[in-house]
Amino acid sequence: MPAFHQMGHDSENLLSVPGLERFAGAILSPVNYNQGKIASQIDWARTRNGFRTIFDPQLYVPTTSRGQIRDWPYFPNDVDTADLSSDVWWGRLVDGLVDVCQSLSLTDVCSPAVLPRTYADEYYDRLVGVGNLLHQRLRDSPVAAIQTAVVGLADLSALNRAMTIASILSRSKTGHIYLVFDSQTEPRRELAQGDEISGAMRLIDALVQANMTVTVGFSSSDLVLWKAAGATNCATGKFFNLRRFTKARFEEPTGQGGGQLPYWFEESVMSFLRQSDVQRIIPMQLPRLNGAENPFSVQILSQLTSEPERAWLALAWRQFMFWFADAEHRLDSGAVSAATLLRNADRNWGQLDDADFITEERRNDGGWIRPWRRAVSEFQTATGAA
Amino acid sequence: MSNLRNVAESYCQANGHKFVRPVGAGAFKETFEVILSTGEPQALKVFKPGYSPERTARELSAMQRCAHPHIGRLTAIASYYFDGVQYLLTAEEFLGGGTLTARLARGILPLSETLALGRQLVEAVAHIAANDLVHRDIKPDNIMFRDDGSTPVVVDFGLVRDLELTSLTQTWNLRGPGTPLFAPPEQLRNDKALIDWRADQFSLGVVLAYCAFGFHPYQREHESMGQTVEHVGERHPQDERFVQAARTSGLQPLIRMTAAWPIHRFRTPDLLQKIWNEASI
Repeated sequence: MPAFHQMGHDSENLLSVPGLERFAGAILSPVNYNQGKIASQIDWARTRNGFRTIFDPQLYVPTTSRGQIRDWPYFPNDVDTADLSSDVWWGRLVDGLVDVCQSLSLTDVCSPAVLPRTYADEYYDRLVGVGNLLHQRLRDSPVAAIQTAVVGLADLSALNRAMTIASILSRSKTGHIYLVFDSQTEPRRELAQGDEISGAMRLIDALVQANMTVTVGFSSSDLVLWKAAGATNCATGKFFNLRRFTKARFEEPTGQGGGQLPYWFEESVMSFLRQSDVQRIIPMQLPRLNGAENPFSVQILSQLTSEPERAWLALAWRQFMFWFADAEHRLDSGAVSAATLLRNADRNWGQLDDADFITEERRNDGGWIRPWRRAVSEFQTATGAA
Repeated sequence: MSNLRNVAESYCQANGHKFVRPVGAGAFKETFEVILSTGEPQALKVFKPGYSPERTARELSAMQRCAHPHIGRLTAIASYYFDGVQYLLTAEEFLGGGTLTARLARGILPLSETLALGRQLVEAVAHIAANDLVHRDIKPDNIMFRDDGSTPVVVDFGLVRDLELTSLTQTWNLRGPGTPLFAPPEQLRNDKALIDWRADQFSLGVVLAYCAFGFHPYQREHESMGQTVEHVGERHPQDERFVQAARTSGLQPLIRMTAAWPIHRFRTPDLLQKIWNEASI
């Protein structure tokens, strides 16, 4: 299934960029856009046949000071003081959300979810209760409910935790899980805890085997892991070449995107590279697999030659997003497998090491590739997947 | 003669009903066959005084919510004083065809009969689930037959879990309520958060395995029932003998129904009904 575009600050211009047509839907964010702006994004989406408009109500850390969210009519004005265990409170919130979604004529809406202090069974049970309430209220509506499931990655390292969580989540009447992994991994670092990754893969697999659709939100290059586990869709946005879904991200100032440097995504080493790394690695012609030619890579290289001082941040976002959608397509169609991509990257890191290649960032050393390979291999052995 | 029988006899005498005979006794109540003044046979249940009024209220509420040909029908609830003590009595339709336990005592069922029985009981479980209830004690003792001897009826909602209400089971209990031999791992381990309709699906799968093959899906040959329950509680794999029997008999749905984790069972009652109805032997 195709990739979804996770909208962030000032992302709407990316929706219509030639070359990014593989994105088959957008996950819309009320934090960065008011209702009028989102309505115009939906109007644009209607011009594209079958384009999904999925609304994420973004209540993860419900404080009234976040972006434009407090101006949305469903957003509860007592959110800072409310008793989040109250059915009445959730019922009111869901009613407000349903009104907004119907007036916007969205195709889908994710159920509201807050981040917990700890990821207990009762938390997942509450998530499903809210999701089922949303599903029930949308029963006669063309808007489809999607079950949001925020899952603590650290929790998944415990044996059997994935099965417990999957058992609870599979009670969702929506049949579609919007899976958000909450990790402690800091920005610009890759997930590298093998047991957590294995647990996440088992969780995805269990849900998919139960005939549920699984969309993994806030993904990055880790898409190869989630696709190997059978995830139906993955979603990414321009910022997810840098950041992950962590509690800390809600404490960062919004709107500026964190003062970014441009990064190039290089599939042959499955890594985000800084400019000097790109300029040294590309001439090495490391073995690559059968990806489509990335038009934004071509533009960046051309610009680095002709105007080396000119900023290429906007092109970097596009370059990453093109790769993401293309990789999802190739993984889905069987043109390439996660194991092959990772094996190739592992070999190439070996080659870089032999050549004494030092990346600009100390921790960008491919050290996560082997835990990823191992997680994929163990998953395949356990499930008999090819 | 039990004190509860005295209560039943006295109640019948006071109301013009005919007391026929005792038909069963559990830890918390006894059941008697009676004939109402209208001539209709009924199962009169007399509850021991003081037994968890909340559980009893839930049992009765559950039975009132269910209305299905394969679920026992509650016809009356009464309060009756005997020797100065207040007793709760219920009247349910009388099921004259005996229990599945009695049927199995004569031997396993032909596969076609197991398939037909399963079809009817899956409907019953789906109806219970549709009412946000979990029976939690589906076993041969609690499956009775109407007078025709072929129409099964699920009875005894004494351990019912109402998913719309707070659980009455304490989290510190090592084991949740239920009959261990037929209970799924989540009941055996008192994993309360995992209890939903799929617990009944598991128990029904075990019942149907007994009907078709005469053994429990987790029972290794020559093992005791206690060891079998331990396998279930530890979520060990099903025994290969069972897996083979289910595959070769055409009753493959039993493998998934009795999976150790709820996520690996059929997710919705509709799906279970569809798959079971498609099974062919």
